[in-house]
Parts: sequence; C-alpha cells; structure tokens
Amino acid sequence: MQNKNISSVLKSVSKPGRYIGGEFNSIIKNKDEVKCRFAFCFPDTYEIGMSNLGVRILYDALNKDSDVWCERVYAPWTDMKEKMEQYSIPLSAVESGDSLDCFDLVAFSLQYEMCYTTTLAMLKLAGFPIWAKDRAEDCPIIVGGGPCVYNSEPVAEFFDLINIGEGEEVLLEICHLYNKMKADGTYTRAAFLREASHIDGVYIPSLYEVSYNDDGTIKEYKPLYDDVPTKIKKRIIEDMDKASYPEKLVMPYIETVHDRIVLEVYRGCIRGCRFCQAGMVYRPIREKSVETLCKQAKCLYDNSGYDEISLISLSISDYSELPRLTDSLLEWTDASHVSLSLPSLRIDSFSEELMAKVSSVRTGGITFAPEAGTQRLRDVINKNVSEEDLMRSVGIAFRGGKSNVKLYFMNGLPTETDEDIEGISALAKKVVDQYYAMPKPQRPKGLGVTVSVSCFVPKPFTPFQWEKQDTYEELMRKQALLKSCITDRRIKYAYHDAKVSFIEAVLARGDRRLAPAIAYLADKGQMFDAWDEFFNYDLWIEAFEKCGVDPAFYTSRGFGLDEVLPWDIIDIGVTKSFLLRERNKAYEGKTTPSCAEQCSGCGANKLGGKNRWCK
Amino acid sequence: MVQVNTTKLFLRFKFVKRGSLQYISHLDLVRTMHKVIVRAKLPLWYTEGFNPKPKMIFAAPLSIGTESECEYMDLRMSEYIEPAEAMARINANMTDEMQVIEAYYPDSKFTDLKWMSYRITVGDVNTSDDLADRCNELLLEEQVEVQKKNSDQMINIRPLISSAVAKRVENEIVIDAVLSADPSAFLNPEYVVKYLRDKGGLLSSPDLTSEYYEVKRLNAYFADMTEFR
Repeated sequence: MQNKNISSVLKSVSKPGRYIGGEFNSIIKNKDEVKCRFAFCFPDTYEIGMSNLGVRILYDALNKDSDVWCERVYAPWTDMKEKMEQYSIPLSAVESGDSLDCFDLVAFSLQYEMCYTTTLAMLKLAGFPIWAKDRAEDCPIIVGGGPCVYNSEPVAEFFDLINIGEGEEVLLEICHLYNKMKADGTYTRAAFLREASHIDGVYIPSLYEVSYNDDGTIKEYKPLYDDVPTKIKKRIIEDMDKASYPEKLVMPYIETVHDRIVLEVYRGCIRGCRFCQAGMVYRPIREKSVETLCKQAKCLYDNSGYDEISLISLSISDYSELPRLTDSLLEWTDASHVSLSLPSLRIDSFSEELMAKVSSVRTGGITFAPEAGTQRLRDVINKNVSEEDLMRSVGIAFRGGKSNVKLYFMNGLPTETDEDIEGISALAKKVVDQYYAMPKPQRPKGLGVTVSVSCFVPKPFTPFQWEKQDTYEELMRKQALLKSCITDRRIKYAYHDAKVSFIEAVLARGDRRLAPAIAYLADKGQMFDAWDEFFNYDLWIEAFEKCGVDPAFYTSRGFGLDEVLPWDIIDIGVTKSFLLRERNKAYEGKTTPSCAEQCSGCGANKLGGKNRWCK
Repeated sequence: MVQVNTTKLFLRFKFVKRGSLQYISHLDLVRTMHKVIVRAKLPLWYTEGFNPKPKMIFAAPLSIGTESECEYMDLRMSEYIEPAEAMARINANMTDEMQVIEAYYPDSKFTDLKWMSYRITVGDVNTSDDLADRCNELLLEEQVEVQKKNSDQMINIRPLISSAVAKRVENEIVIDAVLSADPSAFLNPEYVVKYLRDKGGLLSSPDLTSEYYEVKRLNAYFADMTEFR
C-alpha cells in the first residue's frame, strides 16, 4: 500500500520496512465510503510508535466506527526525511499511502516533551503551517493528545484542538461532530472548533487569551466567549470492562520495541508518589475484571501468535486480584509456549510465588525502583518502601536465578542532601552483600548490580509541581559525588544526561511563550530530541536566547504557591488543594497511605468511574 | 497414501514474497513466520528445553530489495497434517504479498538446492540502444570481477553464473540470470547489478525517482538444472 513516491526511494534508505505498511491486521477501508479520514501520527519512529498501547487502543476504537477510517503515520528517520525533502515527497499514512492533506483530522500523540520538535517536523513534511492561526479553511484539523497535554501550553498554539484525558470516547464524539457539521453545511473551521469546545475533554487553545504579570508569571487565562469553558475537564473511561479494547493487533513485519501482547490491567495508581505525574493524572483507579482480562488475552493471542504477554499498569502488583489473574492465564499460556511478564513490580509486594509465575521461560535481569537512597527521602517522596523490602526482594530474585539487578533512583529530589546520595551507593553495596551472604552453590552466576539514576523533573499535577529543579551544575556535582561513592567494581553506575532533564523541565512546566523557541528549532530542521544522537542542547539554548526565553524561569526559579500555573485551566479531578497538602506533608517527612488503605481525598472520585477504592 | 518419515516430520512450504515485502529482511521474515504458524494453529513440533521453539528451516535467505516467487520453508510437525490444509491455514494468516503456493512432504534437502534464477529489470535507462549488448558482452567475459561487500577484495563471480542474458524491452533492460545458490558459494544478484553499473553504465542517473531497478527470484534448481522440489 505504499505511496509511489515513497517506493522509489525505499532502496536507498535504512530500514525500509518502516515505511511499507501492509501489515497483517492493519485496517483498509474504502475511502469513498467513509465520512471522516483520521490520521493518527506518532512523532517518533515506526518501531517506537507501533509499541505504544494508546495508539493501538485508539486505532482500534476509531476504526470500529464504519464512518471513520483511522490510519497510522510515523516520523521518517533522518535519511528518509532528507529524501522526502529532496524529491518533494509529502508525509503519508502507511495504510493508504495518501498524503496528509487527504485527511479530515490529523492527530498527534504527545508521549514525552522531547517529541515536540519531531511533531513540528512532521507538520512541515505534510506541508501544513505549524501555527494553528496560519491554517487555511481546507487544512485538516490538527489534534493533540496524550500524557503531555496535561500541560500542553508550550505547544498549544500549534494545535487546533487538544484532547485532555482518555481518548476512546471523545475522539469519536469529535469525529461525529465533524461529520454532522460537514453533512448539514454548517462546517467552517471556526464554527467547528467553537462547537467542539463544548465537548468535555476538548481544549481549543485559540479560544483563550493569556495575560501575564510584570514579573513574568501568568495573570489570567480568559475564554474569548461566554460559552467556552473556563476549565477543561479531563475525560475518563468509567467502566474498564466495557471500554473498547483491540481484539486484533497490527502485526509489524520489522522488530518493534515492545513486540508482544500488551494487556492493560487497570488505569490509575493507588500509590501517591509525589514526583509521579502518571500516578495523579490517571486517577481514579479503574480495574478490569479477571474475566475481561482473560478473554482479551486469549483473543489477542489467537489473533497475533505472540509468545509473550505483558501485564501492564502503573504498578502491577497492586492489582487487587493478581494471583487469580496470573493463575487463570497460566492455565493455557504455559502449554502454548507463551510467557508472562510483569514490568512494573514494586519492591514491597514481590514474592517467590509471583517470581515463579513470570520467570518460567526467561532468565536475565530484574528491575526495582527504590527512587531514593535513604528512608527519610523515600518518605518525603511517599515511595513507601523500606530497605528491608528491597533486601527481601533481591534475595528472592537471586534465589530465583536472577543475577542482574537494576536499581532506579532519582537525583535532585526536593530536600535531597549529600547524605541521600551516599545512601544510594550504600544501598547498592547492601544488595551486593546480600548476594555474597548466600551460600555459594545457591548463587546464580555472574552478579551484576546496576544503579541507574535519572534527574528529577518537576511535573505539572504532582505535589512537586511548584518545586525548584536543581541547576545543571548542581546535578552534575551530585552525579560526580555518587560516582566517587561507588567504589565496588560489581556495581555499574548509569546516569541520565542532566542537560536533557533541564530542557524537559522547561517544556514540562512551560507556557505559551516557549512556542516560538520550539518553532525556531523546527525551522532549523531539528527533530528526534528523544534520541541522544540528535538532542542538541546548544541549539535549544540558542532558541531560548533568540526568542527571549529565560529557561531558569521554568526550572530553578520554582513556582509560587499562589501563582497561576499554565496548567490551571485543566481539571484532572485531583484538586490543587490535595496536591498542596501532599507537598506540605513531604516537607514534614510524612507519608500518605495508598488508596487501598485509606482514602486521602484527592478529588478524582468526582470524575466517576467504576472502581474498588473510591468512595 | 504418502509415505512419511514420522521421526522427523518436515512439511515444506514454497511461498512468494512480493511487492513491498521485498523490504523485509530475512531475520524479520523468520520472526513474522513464527507468528504466522502459531496463528495458523498447525501441529508444531517444539524444541526441548528451557525455551521451546518451533523448528523452522529456510532455504537461501533473500536479501532486502529482492522479490521472490520461490521461497522455501521446512517446518517440523508433531503429527501428520494434510499439506493442502496446512497451506490454507497459513495463507489465511498472511497478507496478499506473501502466500504459500505449494506445500508437500519433501524428499530433498535444502543442501540439494544449487542454482536459482532471477530477473533483474532496470527501468528508464539512458537511451543508448546497445546497452543490452554491452551488458551481454560484459557478462560473457572470463573475469567478472566485483568488489566484495565491506572489503577491498575483488572476486571473480563468473564461475557462480550459470547463465545471464540481457535484452532490451522498450525502455527497460531485462536480465535473466541463473546464479549459484549453493550455501558455500551463494551469489547475491546485487553483485550482477553492481558489476553492470560499474562497468556498463547502468543506473548512472543521480535521480532516484526517475530511475529504478527490480530484482525478482524466479525459480530454484538441483545441480542437474532440474527444478528443485
């Protein structure tokens, strides 16, 4: 199904299999019989986009509607981008090979801040103006969605419409409105966007005026018309057992990052780690029943032939019926040579029994995330795991034959001192000691302990949303300190580039004044910032300078507690007062129990949703 | 009743790999096929041990950018299944560009496969009328030297060419070649294209969109040039 223009260059690009489409289970419709053509764009490579669960779910949900044909679009690798520019080949969808101007709606899934330049690069390759205000009447409606849009402000002016929250239902409502207005002749770009602003979960950036105070902080977000909502309420799926879930998966020919069945077990998280955005924005917690999950798993296996099922959620061991789920799945998976994987295990609920169920086929490593090196700091971030939990868990892992343990930590957390950093090294050393405390015949061969440390990025809609980020120099000092503490050769130390975390922090808490800087980078041809080889710190700094942006305003300044935040116009359910309460408890070193133990009144229950925990 | 060796029951599939699937590497083909045969619910035999896998053997891996009318996979079965039934189930689980065209319990081994025929089509060539003749002359020379991939070494591929004939069809040059497929002396048809490009001036235009070439594997033969089966 490839575009004729694309096919002529396929012999001269790397990994041409990225561009061919035609996968088993991909959906082909007659374009003359559908009312709405929807291009679902993923601003990264095919291999990464094909692994994304959200895209899989929405592709399926949209295509279940016979009036809508949803196709996929991925970012071309740089060699292909060059060829496309050289021969004027426009960006096209993999199913039909049609260029994006043939579509009615063109949506982008914004999964991480570092995909913003790639998004603009794709708009340019499609031949669309990057600024929403410059688009002509016949240009497709450009839609944004995904986790980044909980603060979409830095990119808001590039989009005509932004979907806040879960998209299964609202994207179809948007298509239906579009179809209706096209059919009854009332459609104009402006009329459609105005009407769409009345749908819950729809944010139309052009319908708001932003004003600023003299000190650079935000004064006000003002809707341009009375009928435009002052706050946009996040959409959720209320009943996960009734929610649309794919029965078939598009089967990639080339290897993708997560080339397996991904079974979403529940949404939300009962924990309240204070740095974690996902843990707040996906509330309230909504579980699927074991029966639904077993049916979905079997169906996906029959239609895919994959030999691995990954049970995913923010923290899989918190699923209230995990033993019954794994037992039910194991009734047929072992005999069918299918293995189970649980990628988000918590240290405090890891057990021998669970390990036996998941390691039946594969050996190798296991990852735990203590996040901080001392109990004091773990209490500040509300991680609620102890050193004993970690030691017990690695003991189980070693006895179960896993010799590679990876430990995730964060540098730069609020209140962090050098003692906390030294604690990371001490904790890793205790893991090594735990291994050698085992009688030699019982030890798995080849111990490897990896300490992987990222830099704290304060994120919107977390109790730490107001916090300062450590300066680049301070983060570097902390990384060097930790490096000097780790003297044991059996401990490997891996750390993130603090420059990337700095840019991430600017974008995560940024406002509309960043947009010209992002556009500046796109004009320079920048894309794939999420790839180390293409991230260009100096160019970002140059862009900020040219566009009059002081990045420190968004990072090391910290935000005032009474300040209007760029994301205040979004209502995620969880209240600002809850986040503030949690922030105060963090500074007191007090923890908050999980939703399973006690409701802490976060406010997400007002969104509704069928779940076990909320009142 | 077909006599089958039940100790190691291999079923052979001859399949095509056309169109855009020429861009799928051999490794990706193997991974794809693994899922196809699981979806098809064939009675697969699995290896013993910690990580059981079905036994799949492929003949003469195809390089990226080559289409084929003639790919082979031997698949070990745990019990007898009618070849037509297995073929139908597999085809229902693949797209149009990859389909099984024959299934049977074989007597031969892939090591018996010695030659394969290819058609190389070069489109929109420059207007020189004697280009096909020039190619034929070049292909008949005693030394057909090409540079080895990722190496400075020159090798003579003439002994690996059973026959190669170029002819002009409208504005295309069509080369039919029978090349060695012996695992110890496998000749990739890309080398023939490269040789004619370097020496004969084929594919010399810098514009990728006006010029193209296609390579298609057509058939497979035993050492005596009878059709492989």
